Amino acid sequence: MRAYQDFREFLSVLEQQKQLLRITDPIKLEPDMAAASAAATKLGNRSPALMFNNIAGYQNAQIVTNVHGSWANHALALGMDPETGVRDQFLEFVRRYRMFPGQLERVTSAPWQEVVIDKDINLFEILPLFRWNQGDGGFFIDKPCVISRDPDDWNNDDVENVGVYRLQVKDKNHLGIQTVPQHDIALQLAHAEARGEDLPVAIALGNEPIITLMGATPMLYTQLEYKMAAVMQGQPYRVVQNAKGLDIPYGSEVVLEGRILARKRQPEGPFGEFPGYYSGCHQYPLIEIDRMLHRKDPIYESVYVGRPWTELDYLQALTTSAPIFDQINATFPEVQAVNALYTHGLVLIVSTKVRYGGFAKAVGLRVLSTPHGLGYAKVIIVVDADVDPFDLNQVMWAMSVRVNPAGDVLMMPNLAENLLDPACQPSGMVTKMIIDATMPVPPDTRGDYGEILETPMGTDTWLQKLEALTKELQK
Amino acid sequence: MSATTQGSGVPVCPRCRSNTTEVRGVSPVAGVWTVYGCDTCFYTWRSTEGEQNTNPDKYPEVFRLKPENLPKLQVAPRIPPLQPKAQ
Repeated sequence: MRAYQDFREFLSVLEQQKQLLRITDPIKLEPDMAAASAAATKLGNRSPALMFNNIAGYQNAQIVTNVHGSWANHALALGMDPETGVRDQFLEFVRRYRMFPGQLERVTSAPWQEVVIDKDINLFEILPLFRWNQGDGGFFIDKPCVISRDPDDWNNDDVENVGVYRLQVKDKNHLGIQTVPQHDIALQLAHAEARGEDLPVAIALGNEPIITLMGATPMLYTQLEYKMAAVMQGQPYRVVQNAKGLDIPYGSEVVLEGRILARKRQPEGPFGEFPGYYSGCHQYPLIEIDRMLHRKDPIYESVYVGRPWTELDYLQALTTSAPIFDQINATFPEVQAVNALYTHGLVLIVSTKVRYGGFAKAVGLRVLSTPHGLGYAKVIIVVDADVDPFDLNQVMWAMSVRVNPAGDVLMMPNLAENLLDPACQPSGMVTKMIIDATMPVPPDTRGDYGEILETPMGTDTWLQKLEALTKELQK
Repeated sequence: MSATTQGSGVPVCPRCRSNTTEVRGVSPVAGVWTVYGCDTCFYTWRSTEGEQNTNPDKYPEVFRLKPENLPKLQVAPRIPPLQPKAQ
């Protein structure tokens, strides 16, 4: 467990661990940023962050992508050994998640106050903005932490919100924001708009890695992301409160202060989104930026979104799996783990002990009624406790031999779904499916299973021995 | 005046072909690029991008928009009724 003071400290740790690659060749914002970042996602479990510092049109601009873009970087963000496997990262993430809440630490100044711009703001000239995918409607800030409060409960820190919402830069000081109805900020905006008031926001860019993960976590409305970040890093979370009362991470590079304009909508999009398809164009809310603060020579961070897997899939992997696990395990302690790694949990795998025939199907149904399950979980595979849901070889084995489609596939028509899922019919509605890939137990007597093969005695000892010998061999 | 520019030299919008475009920004190192934006459909593009993003005739059909259809786009989230002001 480790608390990174700011974005730069984390980048220096990535560099020490050989998990950051400096690209000093001259690059053009389009198409090089997208091409290089897409290529980085294809490098596997040790894919590094990329830092660009020779950008056409700028003297000193620096852009970093793929900061969370591998299991090694994800582990380092959590202060763990970069070799830690996915299952172990999941178990540690859940352990810390259950220590909620931690504490806020309010301080009065931060490095991002070095430069203040409060007139003639032109985002296009200050930030190295660019287009990710060719059909995107413009240049998007897509890895921000957007901070807001509830106008109906302004002084309640627990309902302050930190969320990662895509922002389209519309003109010199206006941003479009995607606040789909399931997001916490949509609730706060509704309260402000019912009053006819603008909603103050602060937008923090280039953050230490934990708060970005927390902003991407579908936690409860009354759970403050900073208090979750505190338990994730093992120390109180340091923030600076601005004049409006919004708490801003100490460790950010750039802060934009502004307002979501009350009762106004404007064309936004398309944007290449997490399902691997463009989102289409909608009438979305608009933010006016009043003030901008940044460190000298700020480092701009962005996340490439393309056909999975990309950095985005790491960002929403354990941050999706852990809350669903926590919520269903509270009802069914038999549940061992949840793998919601695939496309923000549109497909997910649950492992559970099975108390009696039909039990696994009930576990699958429980997933559908979690907050994230309501809008995302579409195909749920339930496996036994002897199957590691993060090991797809094991999951496919269970699917191969423990499923009889005649009795193990449940189809439920016309359930709610995120409108970004292109399979919806109509938009926002879909049929969901549970596949029971557990072995039947009484009173379910289907199949002819006989005795399962055991792992030979002494395998674990031999595994350790062979691992050591293999390492020697590779020296 | 070419098919892709207005009298002022500012291009028409590659996406919706409106004339409501302006220069949004220029490169801090002078002369490298210009960013344009459209105040009708809010499309944004950089002068150094390929023709599929900068030339209305080469802009992909599937992403084009008609100004008259913009008000028909889905509104999200919906705008709630105004609360009566407390007396």
